[in-house]
Amino acid sequence: MSRPELTGHASLFYNEKEARKYDSSSRMIGVQREITERAVELLRLDDSKPSLVLDIGCGSGLSGQVLEERGHVWLGCDVSRDMLTVAKEHEEDTKVLQSTGDLMHHDMGSGLPFRPATFDACISISALQWLCYSNSAAQNPRKRLTRFFSSLYTVLKRGGRAVLQFYPETAEQAVLISETATKVGFAGGVVVDYPNSAKAKKHYLVLSFDRSLAPRRGALGTAEQDQKQQHVTVGEALGSNKGKKQPPRKKKGIKTKEWILHKKDAQRTKGKDVRPDTKYTARRRRGKF
Amino acid sequence: MRILTHNYLQSNVKGTEKGYPLLIEPNRVVVEESPVNLSMLQTLLPKLDYSAIVQAARQLATYEDANEAFTVPDLPDLLPETLDDLFLTALYKFLFDLHVIEGHLVCPDTGRKFPIKEGVPNMILHEDEL
Ligand SMILES: C[S@@+](CC[C@H](N)C(=O)[O-])C[C@H]1O[C@@H](n2cnc3c(N)ncnc32)[C@H](O)[C@@H]1O
Repeated sequence: MSRPELTGHASLFYNEKEARKYDSSSRMIGVQREITERAVELLRLDDSKPSLVLDIGCGSGLSGQVLEERGHVWLGCDVSRDMLTVAKEHEEDTKVLQSTGDLMHHDMGSGLPFRPATFDACISISALQWLCYSNSAAQNPRKRLTRFFSSLYTVLKRGGRAVLQFYPETAEQAVLISETATKVGFAGGVVVDYPNSAKAKKHYLVLSFDRSLAPRRGALGTAEQDQKQQHVTVGEALGSNKGKKQPPRKKKGIKTKEWILHKKDAQRTKGKDVRPDTKYTARRRRGKF
Repeated sequence: MRILTHNYLQSNVKGTEKGYPLLIEPNRVVVEESPVNLSMLQTLLPKLDYSAIVQAARQLATYEDANEAFTVPDLPDLLPETLDDLFLTALYKFLFDLHVIEGHLVCPDTGRKFPIKEGVPNMILHEDEL
């Protein structure tokens, strides 16, 4: 399979010619529709009332169209102006339908520019893998992924879900992506459809705030295993993050109660969800048995 | 760009404190009527920042275009306690049917301008603005 991600910046690859080709290929339309329908199913949206959905890497609007048909209001963002132009033309063609979508030009790797807790849900179809490649010396994939996921964490409503279908080039990429998502606080994991078919195989990163879905920490005992468990479960086909043992860092004396309260406050003003302060805040935990 | 979208957008350029709401400097605005859907508006309403809608209305009211007839609703400063259909319809039309086609969004803290071209706001930041 050829990898457009290796050719440079997405906005250069998805130029006018490519955008039109993409949008007029009936095979492409069929595939993207099917993936979007699966992603929406994984979102578990209540189709009986409209939700506000963010579509990241919306391209020419093929994925948005599926949201539209289900009565949702969507906002698409994409880094390729040419893809957005094609999307805009669609909106004009379908005036009768009165599109519920709107568009903006943006690079997800620089963080999402929305007010906290805005969207009921988020989808991204066949776009996320672009963040694993850097287009200039200044771009660091890890940093861009972190910026993206932590902003996604902020702009999603508590209780909301995000489903991001992506094409990892390697198992390491899938691990990097899902690990970064968990590091910023998300619970969830990767769902792999058609794992045995090289061609049909699809990865869906399903993210939520529901910590009860996260792998149970501490169940295995030592602090080291603890750390390893923090990454989400990636389908069996993908390797584990072997050999990357990070010794637990210990800094003495900074985690005082005041420091923790201050930190929690700061996080709150950023719109993150933070546990309420109680008499247990900053108390030491009993040793594990 | 719909006014609805404006309600969600926030500037995150380096040096921004809140970055919200963005100021609107319109150069071209069009109206595209759509079927009024009040139940849709009512589900979205609790998550909308009403004061930002009022501010947007004030900014658009100063914009006039002889070719394009549109009315900006005269919105009260505070969201009324009881919402009648007349008010909701005016609000719906303002949020969904007005489209800023050309102009700028301006970050209230840093003054950074985000251009709106052919109806699409460009929120792209340069690497040194992050
Ligand atoms: C394969 S297309 C998918 C488009 C659409 N989601 C669909 O299903 O038809 C991938 C899209 O991701 C966009 N993209 C790539 N990198 C991006 C980035 N950093 N920020 C936003 N969009 C990006 C590309 O411009 C392209 O339109």
